[in-house]
Amino acid sequence: MINILNGIDSTSSALNAERIRMEVVSQNIANVNSTRGPDGKLKPYQRQQVVFETALKDQLKGAGLPGSEASTVRVARIESARRQPRMVYMPGHADADANGMVAMPNINIHEEMVDLMSASRAYEANLNVVKTARGMALQTLAIGKR
Amino acid sequence: MNPLSALRALAHPALRAEAMQPVTEKAAPKAIPFSELEKLSPGILPMPIDSNRVNAAAATGFEKAATDLVSQVAAKQAAAGESVSQLLGGQNVSLHQTMIATEEASISFQLMVEVRNKLLEAYQELMRMQV
Repeated sequence: MINILNGIDSTSSALNAERIRMEVVSQNIANVNSTRGPDGKLKPYQRQQVVFETALKDQLKGAGLPGSEASTVRVARIESARRQPRMVYMPGHADADANGMVAMPNINIHEEMVDLMSASRAYEANLNVVKTARGMALQTLAIGKR
Repeated sequence: MNPLSALRALAHPALRAEAMQPVTEKAAPKAIPFSELEKLSPGILPMPIDSNRVNAAAATGFEKAATDLVSQVAAKQAAAGESVSQLLGGQNVSLHQTMIATEEASISFQLMVEVRNKLLEAYQELMRMQV
């Protein structure tokens, strides 16, 4: 198969990884008030975070040098941050304990917003790589034009 | 050698087979039989071209490369179409993969058009040549 957009595999994998990261952030923000787990038990939501890892794809096209394997990125795992729940005094809450304290998920919304912006910017950077690769291909094709 | 034979390789494979036929067969009856020409001036005439050998060489060389290019462009377009329909069908295909696939299809099509333009240009250049 002809390879039109070189190095697009790495970029594509990065776009995928950043999209997953954004989904995890959205899940964290959505669950900022969840005091119970999916099974209905009393267990505040734990903040999830993605761990990226490098995966090697086949050799970079045209380089053929040792050490020039195209590195793609993939989400290794999504793990929960082991933080203590945030205790909030809400005596009227259904899940309040004897002292009127409710265990809320320890999610810092500012942290999540920064994470969201970081994911968005990383996605944007990778999109710019795609745009540049496309521009280079089109400019090269313009050699034939008069 | 027909100067357009290279261009014909860029056409659709089904059309190509049809296009090959009329040119060679219509040209043959009008020509003076080779045996008569040979009688007239045996020394000047060029070597008769073995048509089988020329065709075989073309099929393995440039024609094959051009056919490969066309089929690869077609494959890229098919992959892009597949990707779009999967995306719209709600399957597990991400937006950027679809966009990259369509962009690749578009650029490889432009590459094919540029190759075709160059060939046509070369042909026209030859046709304008003063003998």
